[in-house]
Amino acid sequence: MTEFIQTLVLSLLVGGIYALVASGLTLIFGVMRVINIAHGAFLILGAFIAYTWWNQLGLDPLVGVVITTPIVFGLGWLIYRLLVRPIRHAPMSSTVLLTFGLALVTEGVMGVIWGNDSTSINPSYVDQSFHVGGVFLPKAQVYGGALAVVVLVVLWLILTKTWLGRAIRAAAANPASAELVGIKVTSVAAVVFGLGLAAAGAGGAITGVLYPFLPGSHYLWIARLLAIVVLGGLGSIEGAVISAMIFGLAETVTAVYISPAWATAVPYAIVFAVLLIRPQGLLGTRLRDDAVAT
Amino acid sequence: MNATTAEESAGHRSGFDLIWVGRLIAVVAGALLLLYPVLSDNLYYQNMIILSLVFAIAASGLSIITGLAGYVSLGQGAFIGLGGYTVGILATRHPDTSVWLWVPLAGVTAAAVALILGFVALRARGPSFVIITVAFLFLVQVIAINWRSLTGGTEGLSLPIPTWSRDIANWPFYYTLVGILALQLLLTWWIRRTKLGTGLVAIREDETKAATVGINLPVEKIIAFVASSVLVGMAGGVYGYYLTFIDPRGMFNILLSVETMLALLVGGKATLWGPVLGAFIVEPLNEYANNNLGGGNTRLLLFGGLLIAIVLFLPQGVLPAVESLVNWVRTRGKAGLVGARIGTGGSLSALTERLSLVERDPAVDPPPLLEVKDLHKAFGGLKAVDGASLVVPEGSITGLIGPNGSGKTTLFNLIDHTIHADSGEIWLAGERIDRLSSWSRAHRGLGRTFQITRLFREMTVLENVVAAQRSFSWGQLGRIAVSGAEARAAEDLLEYVGMRAFRDQKARALSYGQQKLVELAQVLMLDPRLILLDEPAGGINPVLIDRMSEMIRELNSYGKTFLIVEHNMPFVLGLCDPVHVLGRGRTMASGTPAEIQKDPAVVDAYLGDDFVLESADAAAPQEASS
Amino acid sequence: MSHVSIRHGWKAVALAGVMSLGLAACGGGSSSGGSGSSDTLSIGASLPLTGDFSEPGSAAKQGYQVWQQLVNANGGLLGKQVKLVIKDDASNQNTIVSDYNALISQDNVDMLLGTFSSLLNLPASSVAEKNQMLYVEPAGGSPDMFNRGYKYLFFAQQATADKQGLVFADWVKSLPPSQRPKTAAYPTLDDPFAAPNVDGIRQVLEAAGIKTVYKTTYAIDTKNFDSIVAAMKSANPDLVVHGATFEDGVGLTRAMLKSGWTPKMFYETSTPSFADQYTKAVGAGNTEGVMYAVSYSPETDTPGNKEFVAEYKKMFHTAIPPEDAADAYAAAQVMQAAVEAVGSIDDQLKLADWLRSHTVDTILGPLSWDDTGAPQGQFLIGQWLNGTAEIVLPPNVATAKPEVGWHPSGS
Repeated sequence: MTEFIQTLVLSLLVGGIYALVASGLTLIFGVMRVINIAHGAFLILGAFIAYTWWNQLGLDPLVGVVITTPIVFGLGWLIYRLLVRPIRHAPMSSTVLLTFGLALVTEGVMGVIWGNDSTSINPSYVDQSFHVGGVFLPKAQVYGGALAVVVLVVLWLILTKTWLGRAIRAAAANPASAELVGIKVTSVAAVVFGLGLAAAGAGGAITGVLYPFLPGSHYLWIARLLAIVVLGGLGSIEGAVISAMIFGLAETVTAVYISPAWATAVPYAIVFAVLLIRPQGLLGTRLRDDAVAT
Repeated sequence: MNATTAEESAGHRSGFDLIWVGRLIAVVAGALLLLYPVLSDNLYYQNMIILSLVFAIAASGLSIITGLAGYVSLGQGAFIGLGGYTVGILATRHPDTSVWLWVPLAGVTAAAVALILGFVALRARGPSFVIITVAFLFLVQVIAINWRSLTGGTEGLSLPIPTWSRDIANWPFYYTLVGILALQLLLTWWIRRTKLGTGLVAIREDETKAATVGINLPVEKIIAFVASSVLVGMAGGVYGYYLTFIDPRGMFNILLSVETMLALLVGGKATLWGPVLGAFIVEPLNEYANNNLGGGNTRLLLFGGLLIAIVLFLPQGVLPAVESLVNWVRTRGKAGLVGARIGTGGSLSALTERLSLVERDPAVDPPPLLEVKDLHKAFGGLKAVDGASLVVPEGSITGLIGPNGSGKTTLFNLIDHTIHADSGEIWLAGERIDRLSSWSRAHRGLGRTFQITRLFREMTVLENVVAAQRSFSWGQLGRIAVSGAEARAAEDLLEYVGMRAFRDQKARALSYGQQKLVELAQVLMLDPRLILLDEPAGGINPVLIDRMSEMIRELNSYGKTFLIVEHNMPFVLGLCDPVHVLGRGRTMASGTPAEIQKDPAVVDAYLGDDFVLESADAAAPQEASS
Repeated sequence: MSHVSIRHGWKAVALAGVMSLGLAACGGGSSSGGSGSSDTLSIGASLPLTGDFSEPGSAAKQGYQVWQQLVNANGGLLGKQVKLVIKDDASNQNTIVSDYNALISQDNVDMLLGTFSSLLNLPASSVAEKNQMLYVEPAGGSPDMFNRGYKYLFFAQQATADKQGLVFADWVKSLPPSQRPKTAAYPTLDDPFAAPNVDGIRQVLEAAGIKTVYKTTYAIDTKNFDSIVAAMKSANPDLVVHGATFEDGVGLTRAMLKSGWTPKMFYETSTPSFADQYTKAVGAGNTEGVMYAVSYSPETDTPGNKEFVAEYKKMFHTAIPPEDAADAYAAAQVMQAAVEAVGSIDDQLKLADWLRSHTVDTILGPLSWDDTGAPQGQFLIGQWLNGTAEIVLPPNVATAKPEVGWHPSGS
């Protein structure tokens, strides 16, 4: 029983971080119908930036999120302006290929700057845990999970309580009408792309404390993130949060009760199953261009 | 873009002297490729060409599903791996049998897996499809890692070292791959010319529309899947033998898929030779980056940067870019064909071979051809069609009118299954069809044009017409579409609607009225019993409106039944009998034009102000160009 | 219509043809102007300098470079200066095949040296075999390497992976009952090197009556070890034998520390042999008592070791050379011994035959091989004691006595 509760707690802590990163990916898709394959690469970039603050200035990587996030936001804004905007009317597959290229370039750039060795961030509390009953709660995971929730809430407030948020939701629902009421959809999209990547960057700073990383780690992340947003329903942030929790649980339970070797298969199996049974995901709406009646 | 079309239009304008220059260079180049191992024993370049050949085969296969059908796959590398594993597993279990025997089986394995993937992927489109192909690749990899007893797990499988003379060590690999590439190109070339090929391009251009002109989507997509993988599996088998060692991380590396995709994009995704050219650009570049630019990270920057640059600046690839440059230079200053006049139209009697005639006995009341019973469709809370029922008698020209938003187009969409009905029944010629797919309805004699024309924009006018498939048979898929009987039939129909002069124009270059005529020819290619026309007179000039009603009458006199949605009241009331009136998603009234005009409810709800307005609209020419 | 499309088709072939012409020209050019000049001997290797195996790959490169430095300082090989040609295969199999083909045909190297990891050595060694060139590899201990009947392949460590932990297993077996673990857990990376190593130990210990309470294999991209540790914690074994490379070894160690549970004894492959990198990653205080199989110790007085350590320090400013650098150095020593004994490199089968029938002294100790090229020696067992990596087994080469128990300062 303790083992089961332990498993449950660990998976929820991981799930919170997945939720943060995946919500960025699904937000981008919701507004601009772009599947950002480079999302995982920007997560790793966030981790490397956090590492640099920690290593050079002794800044706590989790506190460093305050600096990391705006940097990645700016980068995202710039990337949208330079690369994504010119092809916003192209077929979706073009943007998939573009962002795939972006992922490779980002991986290469990180390799040149930080090297291709495995890197870890080790603040003082990294090997400590809170112990509740027989269950251990690793401090890094608890702080990281809490921070992820805070960032998620901030994101949610931006989307629901601000003018910007209303503009974003209008642009997502109906770009043409949004233009009519004076919303510059491309400007909104640039902000959204920045926000989405910033979520990945913040998530990267957190996961960098939890697990070692190297530039090539992004494949693993993008596979997971895609599985999460597909399960949650492309474009649905609530769906992404719920499915991130489910996903964290499925992964951990598979690792503990079946075999860690098969845990890596979980994302791919989920993608297959979801697209086969319910292509619109848990909370997504069916996109005209997304699913075909057969 | 579709290369056949560009080739044709270029061909019509240029002389034939260049053909021989091209052929000469080609023969020399082909001979050089064949002779290279004999001329030079440089293993480095032999290795480079061998890898390029593998990627050329993979990319050429990919061009079927991605270039023609428009489904972007990042899982193509999996078929190389599956082929490699088939050969590896069989070769290690049967050490005394020649490894080459297993190569065809590698193709079979790849095809079988492609078939399964095809079924799984049927429901996905656009980005979902890309995701599913990536997931597929990784899933196969995880299975290869964990199914130890079969695959040897991460330790991989070692194949026997070749026993033949060291002097010709690479020759068998080299020439087998050249042979497979030749087969792959032949297959790709052949598919492009068949009904299957035009069907795939139609799917790429507009999948929903493709279904309404009789294209069996799942079957054609699955065939495309299998065709794009079978020879790739064989190449993977040869590749695995060449490496003499295979393991899951190498054989199912996503970079193999990326390099394949890159080769396809660089060369030109919808061209025959583009993928080959692309592979012979990308792989040498890869080797160069690795040997001279420091490998690893440089290669990532190169591949990633190239992918971005291609998507942004050269989305069509090198070969089409060269082609359009050449065409531009040649045709500079010459007028295009778009301004040409629409033909006066041919006689329908010439078409009796193409269109089946229905003889009617005027004394007997015609039986209903189409019956719609209590059809419902809601979009969220909005009941677009709410219990509509109507009958179209055999041999009639039935009109369907109603105010904007009364559900006319939605009803059409339900009848041809562009949208799935919530409830209700649809009967065609005594057969219930509401559970059938769009293409099955088309095969049973239902043809339909769209309010805003939906031609396949990147296909030529002729290709648009031959794309229609009036029945489904495996044999028909293999029939050559772009020449021969099919093309002649299409040309006759184009002659009839007056669009023959435009046969080699891209559909997107036509004016709106011209598109309406081509869409009619396209539907006639189905030889339908019932033709649904959605606003045939909308947005075209009065001359064309007259020609349109003349053609409808003529076709009707040969036995074709029509159901017409139209706002142009004089057009409808002059042409149709009976007329159904739709209001708020249900049938308000039915009768002869005279009865409808007198029906107080109809006049009140609809005809009143609108009547005058619509007539005035129709009188003003809205289109000047044609 | 058909003739028109063929026209464009031919144009494309023509383009491809022009490319092959270009290739042919390049080929001609470089094979005539290659590097086969008479006063240098070029030696080629491709190493994983980026990608999954970049850590050990870079160390191996250092080992080769130290050897080049020392050989050239001592008058070279066969009287010629040695020139290394090192490529980066990015831990990628088709790249390594291209690389070794390029080394042989493009760079015209005179001799080859191996690469790092079994996964890369498997395909690379078959290129060497096809081209009948001697292939001494520093790190590819998978038993699979040597059941292929290759004639030119030699492994320059003391034992293949499945036999590397046997000295440790025998020692555990011989412990007095009070100290001897009663239960054991065997998590391992799914890797052709780590997994056989752990399996070999498990078989010996199970036969000796030590109960296996947990056993699992995880994939190479596993980053989250909390679930494995949670499962081990509830099984609570006395001994954990972990098959790891580097990153995963650090990950599992840290996950155990976080969970507040650590086994009484801890053995781990590879990771603890990464000297400074290891202590930095897990924290110096947490290394106390960790045991591992290792091919090399900087402390031993094998012939040439002092020169190697000194030169390594001079070149790379690090006091302790990592094991992979030493292994690479030893591989080069083996190749060098064969070349010097035979006196010519023209027929490399002679070099291989010589190695099969002789013992070579290296900084790892004396090495000898059976007919398949698999080494016939005993591995060393190291242990971290008071912040230093010591060799504790076998006793004849030990620098310290083995201590029972892992005592991380974190717990």
